[in-house]
Amino acid sequence: MITTRKPRRDKDSQMPRKKRTCRFCDAKEVYIDYKDDKRLSRFVTEQGKIIPKRITGTCAKHQRQLVKAIKRARHLAMLPFVSDAIR
Amino acid sequence: MEHTQLYETTFIVNASLDDSQTDAVIGRVQDVIVKNGGTVNALNKWGRKRLSYSINKKTNGFYVNIEFTAPGTLMAPMERSFQLDEMILRFLILRLDKKALAARAKAQAAAAAPPPAEPAPVPAREPLFKEGPADRKP
Repeated sequence: MITTRKPRRDKDSQMPRKKRTCRFCDAKEVYIDYKDDKRLSRFVTEQGKIIPKRITGTCAKHQRQLVKAIKRARHLAMLPFVSDAIR
Repeated sequence: MEHTQLYETTFIVNASLDDSQTDAVIGRVQDVIVKNGGTVNALNKWGRKRLSYSINKKTNGFYVNIEFTAPGTLMAPMERSFQLDEMILRFLILRLDKKALAARAKAQAAAAAPPPAEPAPVPAREPLFKEGPADRKP
């Protein structure tokens, strides 16, 4: 029985990858400040949810620091827990 | 002398107070720090900002950030004084860990370094082609 192999699907063509490198690692950042709400708001959706690292390209270490900073900013009402997004 | 650490606190004061009353609140906080053997390093007032969600039915708050060095025994009375003060809506006291300190030192070094000198002006180049009436095509 002749088996034919299906052509391998190229993942990159179907789901193009976003940034491969973590922008914090590129900038050699050591500490992500919770007071910088303008910068933190880029890692949060319109609804106020934290964007996962597979979308932003952040590395695990910086994602943990980022999440901590976002939660502190939420406590100080600089970022919302839930924002009124357009439904 | 007790071992002291570097701390930072950010708190939100009721925005409906006028300047003198806000200063009184901040002064009370500083008094608590100093009475318990701490020293205030920096005081930053961010001013009135809109809150992302209402706290005690208020939509604006006056943000203040204080950096101070103090022994660990200050934490309990300080938190208690924040809780009791009705004019302080939220507070956050953090100990600056080594990563925060490293970032701070880096920022200070970058600020202290002289600004980069302007690049030398490029001398104007002579045009390669000189357009003359003979070059123009009718």
